[in-house]
Amino acid sequence: MFEVRFHGRGGQGAVMAAQTLAEAAVIEGNYAVAFPFFGAERRGAPVLAFTRIDNKKIYSKTQVYAPDCVVVLDDTLLDTIDVVAGLKPEGIVVINSKDKPEDIDLGKELRTGAINATSVALEILKAPITNTTILGAFAKATGIIKIESLEEAIKRRFGEKLGALVGERNALAARTAFEKTVIGKSKGIKKLEPRKQWLPTYQELPVGGALVEGKTDAGLIGPGSFIENKVMGWATFRPLRDKEKCTMCLLCWFYCPEGTIVRISDRGDLMTNYDYCKGCGVCANECPVDAIKMVRARV
Amino acid sequence: MNPETSPNSPRTHQQPKKVITGDHAVAIGAKLCRVDVVPAYPITPQTLIIEHIADFVSDGELDAKFLTMESEHSVMSAAAAASASGARVFTATSSQGLAFMHEMLYATAPLRLPVVMANASRTLGGPPGIWCEYNDSMGARDSGWLQLYVEDNQEALDMVIQCFRIAEDKRVLLPVMPCLDGFVLTHTVEPVEVPEQEEVDLFLPAYIPDITLDPARPSMIGTFMPAEYIMELRRQTAGAMESAKKAIGEINDEFARRFGRNYGGLIDTYRMEDAEIALITMGTVTSTSRDVVDELRREGRKVGLVKLRFFRPFPSEELRKVLSGVSAVGVFDRSISFQGGGQSYNEVRSALFGMTIPIINHLAGLGGRDVTREQIMKMFEITLKAAKGEKVNLVNWHNTRGETL
Repeated sequence: MFEVRFHGRGGQGAVMAAQTLAEAAVIEGNYAVAFPFFGAERRGAPVLAFTRIDNKKIYSKTQVYAPDCVVVLDDTLLDTIDVVAGLKPEGIVVINSKDKPEDIDLGKELRTGAINATSVALEILKAPITNTTILGAFAKATGIIKIESLEEAIKRRFGEKLGALVGERNALAARTAFEKTVIGKSKGIKKLEPRKQWLPTYQELPVGGALVEGKTDAGLIGPGSFIENKVMGWATFRPLRDKEKCTMCLLCWFYCPEGTIVRISDRGDLMTNYDYCKGCGVCANECPVDAIKMVRARV
Repeated sequence: MNPETSPNSPRTHQQPKKVITGDHAVAIGAKLCRVDVVPAYPITPQTLIIEHIADFVSDGELDAKFLTMESEHSVMSAAAAASASGARVFTATSSQGLAFMHEMLYATAPLRLPVVMANASRTLGGPPGIWCEYNDSMGARDSGWLQLYVEDNQEALDMVIQCFRIAEDKRVLLPVMPCLDGFVLTHTVEPVEVPEQEEVDLFLPAYIPDITLDPARPSMIGTFMPAEYIMELRRQTAGAMESAKKAIGEINDEFARRFGRNYGGLIDTYRMEDAEIALITMGTVTSTSRDVVDELRREGRKVGLVKLRFFRPFPSEELRKVLSGVSAVGVFDRSISFQGGGQSYNEVRSALFGMTIPIINHLAGLGGRDVTREQIMKMFEITLKAAKGEKVNLVNWHNTRGETL
């Protein structure tokens, strides 16, 4: 059995990538399953998806704990997440990066296939959606699936949902990535500590799960603990306010779903707290005088 | 894996397979049954089912009335009314949605309205959660609905088809609730063989009720009924539930003949032939357990698996028969009854009354916690200890912080 874990951000199509890989494996006469990490996914948030491939029916209905391959759709995830956690020692990493494998620090020296999937996707699909592109790199780096089967699966799955032309284009993106993928070995310098989690016993868990403000070894819990969950990494775009145009009507302050727009003086000056801004663009949409522009937060 | 002994083993003459989610499989199942009315209200992780059906209707693939209702209570009210008018009715729900329609569940079963409703098993809060637990459907086990739990997407599709046959069987005429594990099936794609429409039409003829709400032939369904009649009505429903056992077996066999997939009827067994101990499982944990049984068998341990497919009607006789040779039985539960174990455990103990073997409860996966191979291994290990006469807990909370096993 070959097990794959996909790391992406909500909206990048990690789940679709996992499903398309499963379909390609089935096209080759194998058995495959694919599933998302069963969480509440949101656009921009780190998400996980999994694929299992075998030459016979797969009975295991558990999550994947020791993958044979890890696919990373967005290398900004490397800063906060140990994407290679649990990866088998001989496992393979496939990563969307403008760097060569030798320049990518995964904390371990691992067989790595690197592709600048964002630039391939922008060139062919005219959008930074990298799920089909990265699959081409997966085929090259692992050799466990033929690129032709992936092209067929992409045409079927994307074609069904979005029309034949979109299917063709995405298949081309995969083929292009397949040809451009560079295989090498990653660097193993940085040390990523696994993020601590508060895991009380049933005796320690407050009655009914009711929480007050509290501090544990793993960080804050209860009201106000969200302050530790900085989400700036989720944003593709972030708002920039033109102070000249701004009339201080405060509609942006009122509508911001995360309360990231702060009034910093009695005169009503505003400041956006980018630590917690997910780049949703509601403020720019609501601004009656177009004083707020959304600009790329990361490239 | 020993595919020869598995009822889910692939046939030699396979139809092309679609790689689809459990929710998609259920929706296709409903379409193949040519359902007439689908009242719907969305709730995670069921929503994909009604979204797919809405697509089928708007694309002209399914000629059905799709009703977007204002609540689940209204969904089941509409389902009951539509069924009483003679329509074949399908819907789907989950968790809080099932709880909200609880009252109307009791309006469908005693009135003998053969509605089929898929339940995407999800924890019933608070605190709220969206993941798999059986405490939503277990609360409806005494409503008169038939209930079954499937282990993969193929079974989910196939059972929607079988459910209509069972529900509309004149010996039964009761609503049926196929339950599929939230996320573990609903959002997981697997290869699924989709039966041909003509084959399904031959297996499932049109629903022709004896009495319907039809102005041309006036009738009354569900009117006020005083005590003079209720005992007899309840006895009737109880009889129908009992008759369902035979119908389920026959319909399973006919389905197996026509479609090549035999699910075993009320229960399914795996490597029970010479088993010394058995684990009783429901839902997707059955699937993972098949691998664990193989692993333990390779080590020479004589363990077997009993898949509890139907929870209503409860297969007491079948369990007594298949467990007659074992020296201990473990019972997996994915919900707690707050009186000493899970619902399945209590039902099994009741079914095995008079047998002297240890019956051990294994609670795991509540709130959607992953039920791993290691946990299932532990279930077998504890049950083996009990078989040897060692003292073990009757109720075991697996992978629960603060509990020692």
